[in-house]
Amino acid sequence: MYSEGVKRLFHLKGDRIILKSTLLHKTAPQVAQEIHACIGCNECLLACPAVAEAISIDVLNRETLSGAISAPIARFARSCYQCGACVAPCPVGLHRDAMMMWIKVRLLRSGRGE
Amino acid sequence: MYNSPEWADIVIIGNGIAGLTAAIEARCLAPTARIAIITEQCHPTINTPALKQFAIGKLAQEQLLAYPAGTERGQRVRVINTRVEGINAQGKFLVLRGGYTFGYGSLLIATGSRPNGLPAHLPGRDFDGVLTLHCLQDYLDLRRRLDAIDSAVVIGGGAHAIETVMSLLHHGIEVHWLIRSETFLPHILDRTASTMVLENTRNTGANIFTKTEIIGIVGRVGSVIGVITNNNEMIPCQVVLVCTGTSPVTTLAEQCTTPMMYGRGIYVDEQFRTSVPDIYAAGDVAARKNPQTGAYETQAQWYAAVLQGRSAAAVMTGHHELAAQSIGVPWHATHLGDLCMLTVGNPLHKFAGSTICTDRSKKKYCRMSIIDDRLVSYLSIGSAQPDSLAIKSIIDEGLSIRHIKKALLTGVFDARKYLTRWRSQEALAMVTSGKVPVVKPLYYPVTPVRSFSVVSPPATIATVQRSSVVHPSNASGPTLNAITRMETIHGGSVDKPDYVLSSLAGQSTIHSWEQDARPSTGKLPEPISTDMESILLSLPSRSVARSLWSYSEKIPAVKALKSSSQHKGQGQSESEKANFLL
Repeated sequence: MYSEGVKRLFHLKGDRIILKSTLLHKTAPQVAQEIHACIGCNECLLACPAVAEAISIDVLNRETLSGAISAPIARFARSCYQCGACVAPCPVGLHRDAMMMWIKVRLLRSGRGE
Repeated sequence: MYNSPEWADIVIIGNGIAGLTAAIEARCLAPTARIAIITEQCHPTINTPALKQFAIGKLAQEQLLAYPAGTERGQRVRVINTRVEGINAQGKFLVLRGGYTFGYGSLLIATGSRPNGLPAHLPGRDFDGVLTLHCLQDYLDLRRRLDAIDSAVVIGGGAHAIETVMSLLHHGIEVHWLIRSETFLPHILDRTASTMVLENTRNTGANIFTKTEIIGIVGRVGSVIGVITNNNEMIPCQVVLVCTGTSPVTTLAEQCTTPMMYGRGIYVDEQFRTSVPDIYAAGDVAARKNPQTGAYETQAQWYAAVLQGRSAAAVMTGHHELAAQSIGVPWHATHLGDLCMLTVGNPLHKFAGSTICTDRSKKKYCRMSIIDDRLVSYLSIGSAQPDSLAIKSIIDEGLSIRHIKKALLTGVFDARKYLTRWRSQEALAMVTSGKVPVVKPLYYPVTPVRSFSVVSPPATIATVQRSSVVHPSNASGPTLNAITRMETIHGGSVDKPDYVLSSLAGQSTIHSWEQDARPSTGKLPEPISTDMESILLSLPSRSVARSLWSYSEKIPAVKALKSSSQHKGQGQSESEKANFLL
């Protein structure tokens, strides 16, 4: 009844459809929405234990979704270990960890993951 | 083409975040267009909400930049630093300071807002140390003074005031906070929430005076030494910080040769068109219809300005489909000391048929308005911020909260899990049934947006037949298309809402003036009173198909129904966004 691709995501329990895995990170549109809502207060970067050099929030936001990723942002993304310390200080309730995950994905796609 | 030797296809007045966002978005959508920003502001676009962090030294001045330095030049956006003194709408040119003129193809007014300040005749308002906090210069002034300040008076009863109070307390300054009304944010927060916020601020160290106004400022040799309140009390201080709200700058609407409809803000439709052809407005100055109450109101908030700038740019460059998605309900999230406040929708508005749910514990309060199993407003005060944009999406898209009501109320809602599961279920339904999921709104009327025929519609939309009768109860695939397109169509007559709450039957609505469909003819409505009864207009995205991309996606659902070849024209970044799900 279902294709193999669909069966990889769901299984049936009686007449109920159970999701096999829950994907906990945000989609690109959600990340874009959060970047547009970022007020640039820098609280996330101030709370970050992984940031090792001066990172500007405007550059980080611009490079998160599209365009070239500069070397400092790439280093920062690689050193981010998704601890979530950036989430609580955000005044508007955004998830910088999800945005960082998106940069990691972009780096991996471009072959610069390591 | 123009009556001026200098001109641009797209001219934007103001380089706040709405103006610059519009310019950059317009450049993406129209690579060859001539784009100009005319502004009086002497600095690049900055993150204005971060000014308070800047004032207390948590941010350097360079970190305030909203876009990397040189963005305007890189995007080939001409920036002209002067004042616009008038608009000649017939000749399509601006009159600049000194009598110069500048022609435009499309004009975006993004002049923002100005602070209300203190009453004009208040004694002592000109003493040194009386600062109205609004722009960068004000905060630079405050920052220079901070080390010499022991005691400050903050005036105002809104979020701006409390954020200022918290910043000063963080800097170790004694703060006296004067609020004119009895509660904090009386139009947004109920008494419980207000009390909670005020208590918390009091515990943080602020001296709060409710129902208190100043009747005079006392100075010595030209500098502030204190204020006198209406309780005949003298409060000593070195600075008086005024945070009494803002008003949209509608001067250009008054100085336009063609009458432009404005009140508190320049009235715009869903596509940010003013009542004058080829003139648009976005940001703090634009008054849009609240999708829930129907009243025209401005939304002086960062996120709203960004979205409005993007949407206005899309319309000005002819990409109406990108602006078709509504910006949705008001949303405001902020930290108030160690408390997080979130308001989505209109928490105190009384919707017919709605149920109010509240949950109160020691350091947490939540209030939700629900109609059936749909969330219509949300207010949360607590030590942690919920996934605020996800809650906005739940309201905007009208998703069912039947199974997450308790989680939302108690603040343990896992938005990522919920939305992922929701999308996955819809994807499964779509794959297995071959049909796009259809939303069946129970209470939201399907109301066509105000339709202007100022700009020619895209060919694909212009060919849509408007004969389909839409009723939510029998919505199906073809009907769905009709609904979607009806929301994006321009010109022509406008149908009556197909579904209206029974309590609203017979009530005159603000749509009566839209029957004319041409506000540029001068048949404009009276300004809408904000205390009108509830009119539940269609919540965005409820009347369209929710697809895999519906959550926060800028491409409207109608896009998802088109063939894949049509997606190719979207550009690489858009298609990447649309087709990749983590």
